Amino acid sequence: MKSFFKSKEMGILAVLVFLCTVLSVNNPIFLTLDNIQDILKANSVLAILAMGMTLVIITGGIDVSVAAITSAAMVITGHSMKLLPDSPISILLALIIAVASGLIIGLLNGTLISRLKIPPIVTTLGTMSIINGSILYFTNGVFLNSSNFPQVFIRFSDIKLAGISILVYIIALVTLITWYVMKYMMIGRSVFAIGGNPVSAVRAGIHLERTQLFVYGYMGFLAGIAAMTQMMYTKSVDPNGMLGFELTVISAVVIGGANILGGNGSVWGTLLGVLLLGVMQNGLILSHIDTYWQKVIVGLVILSAVSYDYLQHKRAESKQLKVEVQA
Amino acid sequence: MEFLLQMRKVSKTYPGVKALDGVQIAIKPGEVHALIGENGAGKSTLMKILVGVESADEGAEIEFAGEKVHFSKPIDATLKGISIIYQDLSLFPNLSVAENICIGRENAGKGYYRVQWKQMKLLAEKTLAELGLKVDVSLPLGKLSIAKQQLVAIARSLAFDSKLIVMDEPTSSLSSGEVEHLYNIIEDLRKRGISIIYISHKLKELFTVADRFTVLRDGKFVGSYDKDDMNEDKLISLMVGRKVEVINREENKGGEEVLRVEALSKRGNFKDISFSLHAGEIIGITGLVGAGRTELAQALFALNKPDSGNIYISGKKVDLKSSGDAVKHKMAYIPESRQTQGLFLRQSIIDNISVTVFDQMLNRFGFIERAREKQLASEYIQILDIRPPLAEMNAGQLSGGNQQKIVIAKWLSTEPKILIIDEPTNGIDIGAKTEIHKLLRRLTNKGIGIIVISSELPEVLAVSDRILVMKQGRISGEIAAAEATQEKIMNFAVLGAG
Repeated sequence: MKSFFKSKEMGILAVLVFLCTVLSVNNPIFLTLDNIQDILKANSVLAILAMGMTLVIITGGIDVSVAAITSAAMVITGHSMKLLPDSPISILLALIIAVASGLIIGLLNGTLISRLKIPPIVTTLGTMSIINGSILYFTNGVFLNSSNFPQVFIRFSDIKLAGISILVYIIALVTLITWYVMKYMMIGRSVFAIGGNPVSAVRAGIHLERTQLFVYGYMGFLAGIAAMTQMMYTKSVDPNGMLGFELTVISAVVIGGANILGGNGSVWGTLLGVLLLGVMQNGLILSHIDTYWQKVIVGLVILSAVSYDYLQHKRAESKQLKVEVQA
Repeated sequence: MEFLLQMRKVSKTYPGVKALDGVQIAIKPGEVHALIGENGAGKSTLMKILVGVESADEGAEIEFAGEKVHFSKPIDATLKGISIIYQDLSLFPNLSVAENICIGRENAGKGYYRVQWKQMKLLAEKTLAELGLKVDVSLPLGKLSIAKQQLVAIARSLAFDSKLIVMDEPTSSLSSGEVEHLYNIIEDLRKRGISIIYISHKLKELFTVADRFTVLRDGKFVGSYDKDDMNEDKLISLMVGRKVEVINREENKGGEEVLRVEALSKRGNFKDISFSLHAGEIIGITGLVGAGRTELAQALFALNKPDSGNIYISGKKVDLKSSGDAVKHKMAYIPESRQTQGLFLRQSIIDNISVTVFDQMLNRFGFIERAREKQLASEYIQILDIRPPLAEMNAGQLSGGNQQKIVIAKWLSTEPKILIIDEPTNGIDIGAKTEIHKLLRRLTNKGIGIIVISSELPEVLAVSDRILVMKQGRISGEIAAAEATQEKIMNFAVLGAG
């Protein structure tokens, strides 16, 4: 517990609590259960993708194709749903289609990165462009709306358990699964080891390629889940709706304390990063501040978080001695 | 079983270089065996072959614990009972101490699916306790001092039930008190019947810990000796049997002083460095790896800011704030890793040579004049005899020796008065080495003062007018070329006294 209070997560939590206090003093609506649930629902897709991105960034990689993969999974699933009967089985089928589409593209990324050793940013830039182009070609940018979906899907999307939306449960489930994988499964520990020191990891018998394949595959899998979630939240498919969203995802992970150079990052930190972004956006809207400012503020938050980290690191490094000088 | 490990007929050929040539070594159970040789003698290569990081040429025989073995991955060697503790420790600063010790087996063997945090902690605490270290094993390793990290690395070998532990320069980043503690641990391991291959440059250390010695020189096996038949002088002469290639040279004319350094110090890098360099003179700075040579060179070129001390260029005190300042004062620095730091491999010879003097290549409209660049390049191709003499060729396509000449040309085009060159012939074949040496001597005729930093004693002897030897961040000796021998240098470098 002692280490928790000194951790990076604690710092983010403190900022989050401070922000919430200021906002609730300013505007009593902020601290209502409804508003908090709205924040969670509005950021469920961000949270799900950020979990996957955390793994990617811990290995020292990056995936800029997440938004494109999510859009692709949405388009494929949305158009398939037009053909599906109005029966509960359709929900399961839609989920399978979404997850399979995401997983396949993710594994493709993973294969290119791990086998062909193409740098992650190049690989995913390439797949992003291909996917975005293909989506435009097939959809002509046309929306799908709730009339295109089976009624059962709409009802499913509005399910509440104990007054809490199913979307919130999805965030919780994805977070817990990711946490378990990272904490208790060998593959999760390999992700950390590779990010910390790839040469040592290989010397210690860790499979670099297999781990990379897993990380990008998992990212794709979660993009499938995110696609499903986005459709449930908006009850529509906007082929262009996610353009540029990958940058928000990366921002959330970086604000959550992950090191963009790899090695460090945590599921809880990322969750806090997502909440911080979500609360900021919500607070700015409640305070009637122009949404353009939101981007400026997000940028400032990222830069101050990262420079603080960098300065800490630099200070630690300068303390390290290179040569044992004779007294 | 007389020997735990026997390696025989081990050779390793890299393109153009024979790193190991029929080397052998035999380790008894429960002994501390020192593996010793100059930089580049092949110690590390031999160990890399042992654990499967590198593969030996055809015909090598390795026998461990009575059976023939051949490892293709380090983890296979570890599982058989051979651990290696690299000089860089090869640990994970971002992971907990416990995980570092149990890395690769966090599930406590094949039995479980889940990572066994509790078992991991217990095992880590137990092995660390055996080494007399008490730390919170759930802390990230990066929070520990290097000395403690070293113990963690040893604990990892113990946790894998190693029968043989290779330690590569284990004391390179330890203070003297910590070294004492390490000796005690090694003594303890020996009592438990664990064999240790101990690689170190520090002879005093070796005589404290080692039972037997194996000496390598230029990739060849010199011999294995018992401690009783060995002393420091004998060991040094066994290490340095190499012949010096003599270059005909004129006596240094001793021009005016171009560089003077007074009491230059930087914490954790070097201390109290004072010397002067004259026009037309070559100073060789040598010493063992980790003596602070490169750190000093970088400080002279303002890449590593010293804490105190003064630098004078041509008699005037200067305060160099950046490497740009250093260049303005007619200084040039050629770093050791020329491929990554000194060359644009995918650009032409012309582009590589003219990059330092772009501002002189401009025509009156401010555009670079290609003809002028070409002329400059062909000039230096001729002076330095770069082959093939094709100015448009990409630097990456040339041999190592010729690449090094381009790097030199690039800096000569700035017409420096002071040239600092770090490991000028690293990774270059023998013939090209001599050529570079001759080239450096020729440059002195132009009145350039040169500082050559090198760990190769024959090289230092071949080119220098004066040799400064560094040990643990200080200059431990200065020798004039006429009186210098490899033994003398080694004595200063290792013992700190002539």
